[in-house]
Amino acid sequence: MSASGIIGTFLGVRSPGTAYVLLHHYMGEIDGAFRAWGFARGGTGAISNAIADAAREAGAEIRTQAPIAKILIKNGRASGVVLANGDEIYADVVSSSVDPRLTYTRMIEPGNLPDDFLEGVNRYKFRGSSGKVNMALDGLPNFKCMPGAGAHLRGAMSISPSVEYMEKAYDEAKYGHWSSHPYIDMVIPTLTDTSLAPPGKHILSCFVQYAPYKLAPGLDWDTEKEKFGDNVVNTIAEYAPNIKDIILHRQVVTPLDLEREWGLSEGNIFQGELSLEQLFFLRPVAGWAQFRSPIKNLYMCGSATHPGGGIMGAPGRLAALEILKDGGA
Amino acid sequence: MSETRDVIIVGGGHNGLVAAFYLAKAGFKPLVLERRAHVGGAAITEEFHPGFRCSTLAHNAGPLRADIVRDMQLEKHGLKFTTPDVNTVSLTPDGRALILYSDTKKAAQEIAQWSQKDAASYSDFGAALGKIGKVIGEALLLTPPNIDSPDRGDLWGMLKTGRSIRRLGKKDMYRVLRWGPMAAADLVAEFFDTEPLRATIAARGIFGTFLGPWSAGSALVLMLRAAGDPSPAGSVQFPAGGAGAITQAMAAAAKQVGAEIRTGAEIAEIRVKDGVATGVVLASGEEIAARAVVSNADPKRTLMRLVDPAHLTPDFVQKIKNYRCTGTVAKINLALSALPEFTALNAKGNGNLLRGRIQISPEIDYLERAFDESKYGNFSRSPYIEITIPSLSDPSLAPAGEHVMSVYMQYAPYKLKDGNWDSQREMLGEAVVKTISQYAPNFPQTILSGQIITPKDLEETYGLTGGHIFHGELALDQFFTMRPLLDWARYQTPVERLYLCGNGTHPGTGLTGGSGANAAREIAKTLRK
Repeated sequence: MSASGIIGTFLGVRSPGTAYVLLHHYMGEIDGAFRAWGFARGGTGAISNAIADAAREAGAEIRTQAPIAKILIKNGRASGVVLANGDEIYADVVSSSVDPRLTYTRMIEPGNLPDDFLEGVNRYKFRGSSGKVNMALDGLPNFKCMPGAGAHLRGAMSISPSVEYMEKAYDEAKYGHWSSHPYIDMVIPTLTDTSLAPPGKHILSCFVQYAPYKLAPGLDWDTEKEKFGDNVVNTIAEYAPNIKDIILHRQVVTPLDLEREWGLSEGNIFQGELSLEQLFFLRPVAGWAQFRSPIKNLYMCGSATHPGGGIMGAPGRLAALEILKDGGA
Repeated sequence: MSETRDVIIVGGGHNGLVAAFYLAKAGFKPLVLERRAHVGGAAITEEFHPGFRCSTLAHNAGPLRADIVRDMQLEKHGLKFTTPDVNTVSLTPDGRALILYSDTKKAAQEIAQWSQKDAASYSDFGAALGKIGKVIGEALLLTPPNIDSPDRGDLWGMLKTGRSIRRLGKKDMYRVLRWGPMAAADLVAEFFDTEPLRATIAARGIFGTFLGPWSAGSALVLMLRAAGDPSPAGSVQFPAGGAGAITQAMAAAAKQVGAEIRTGAEIAEIRVKDGVATGVVLASGEEIAARAVVSNADPKRTLMRLVDPAHLTPDFVQKIKNYRCTGTVAKINLALSALPEFTALNAKGNGNLLRGRIQISPEIDYLERAFDESKYGNFSRSPYIEITIPSLSDPSLAPAGEHVMSVYMQYAPYKLKDGNWDSQREMLGEAVVKTISQYAPNFPQTILSGQIITPKDLEETYGLTGGHIFHGELALDQFFTMRPLLDWARYQTPVERLYLCGNGTHPGTGLTGGSGANAAREIAKTLRK
């Protein structure tokens, strides 16, 4: 239960403030069921696709493979963007759903933002702490505690045997090591959606904590990556010994991969630590929590704004309301 | 049964004595009942080895709230403080020492030898703590507001605090709001690069608590301790005669205005009839009736042991059970034949530099690792240590040429995983001596005798439940309107005419007298109604 309080954060179960993260995980609803979690048919990608369809239907246009290099600023106002290929697109409003570090220090030319604001952006803590291991399986894992197939495999399976186990996993991360006995949250989505894998095959998706973005001196994620993956498999094998025999393929995603491939600074899945000093009116920067920025017509709408991370959609909606309030331009 | 007394105060700790003084001044006739042979609670000086006297527990005043010192005329009653030139010497394993002088400019010069940038930040940090500490200090004077139905006084207090916060200006206002829930390690990293400086200041945020420097909320503890004491590492003040001199002066002041004090009077029970406190029963069987009872004991001791919980609702009993109150500090007092020679200080003239505080807090991770052990029920093998040698400022504490050393050691968790404190007490002492001797090799040979006080001893001998030196953890969920419990932060309890005045009430930040003074003001108001 206490695991919900640490997911995606750089905190241990005993750390003050984790009760908030736990409540944060319980604030959504699915099909009218409050604090529910669910599987999306087709994976979480299906959620984004459905949202995209809804947006298009309402008149939004979406272009993929259009990485943004710069946000254009003219006379203190955002006036558009420059794509990586050099194309310039002009707009009345620019709303960034990427995190504040990328938005303000990579996409905006220096000199456009006040010093104390930039100080706040630079201080904003990311500190990714989790990794992901996805496996293609030739069959189903057989757990010692509940042998055979059954309903128990359809939900979330968690390796978090004791509060002390979890806290020790955290202690290693504090000093820059991935947990030798990690907390693992596993799901087998192919049991609820057979379309994700060929018949008889399965997918095991593992959320793993802790995997600190910043490793101890002398260590780096490129050399640690597969060792980290091996350790996850070995840990699962203690509970489901057949796992090693059924792995067809393994994908390891480290916090560094999350940063490189998915644009999440320091691999934080919530675009910034969900700690009290970075929530509510302090998210992302004190004085700039209302989706606006020091640059006119530039807005923030991602997880780094109130109310924060998770697949909730709330920051996007709240930001849109603020943009409309400002007259849209 | 004897005649009905006016107000009985359970326990003669510093807050009990401060409350007695203010209640007597307000026209009441308080009677302080102290279990031990002398008053003082955790602010006492005792002889622990023939000819050697030491502040048995607290070795540094909070500092005391200035208005209390003034009102009680403590100086007239014999209290005299010395502030050493050197505030803190922080030792590092590579044989260096970071020296923080009490004078900020002089401190900055010394820090410049480690980092020019940190030298500049040091005064900025002190200035920010001073500004913010002043505002927090104002809130510490307040009785926490009644949240459900604030009265005019509450609204006025909140308005005033709100205005003071606004007057800080945007930058410092956001700092107050942002710093509170932060980790002390993050806070100091915003100002400093030098590791021993970071750790030495962050240590203020973990002292006495079950927090490590990376724990969220440790910055709050630092800020609370900085209210009224903005010196970055915390000021050092030695009362002549040790901490006991503070409470002796307080007792004299209280008696002078009409309070009565009885020692050797242990209370077995607080009598309650129909939901109203009616007096106390002593361990001797003697019963004393009173109009009101004020407890300087901690909330758990008062409401779960001295009061029969049958007088409380199950809901309240559950909440008071959940009040977090397990200590992490052990105290070691040593009689020394000579001063220890610290390797890092030899070239600089040892003696004068040892007059302040000597800290073993070389880096943030060192402190955090010390904390890690305590989470699993072990005491720290490489502990955070704060040393003072009060005999350098007050030679009367030890025979000529000899010294007393007073050591705070952290972490010593109240609940041990293996064994108990009776079997581990000596091992704790050895770990401390071993740690200090890594910095001062001649140290073990100078020890004549020692007194080791574990959290268990703090509970059994000195009456601190769970061995918690602050009568309960200082944390956002046990602070201000929630100290000790939400709805019961105004010094009252569910038992009518039973009040709390100890460190388990707001502000509860150590040896300041704040809780006693605030409680007396509130109690006088309600008793007059």
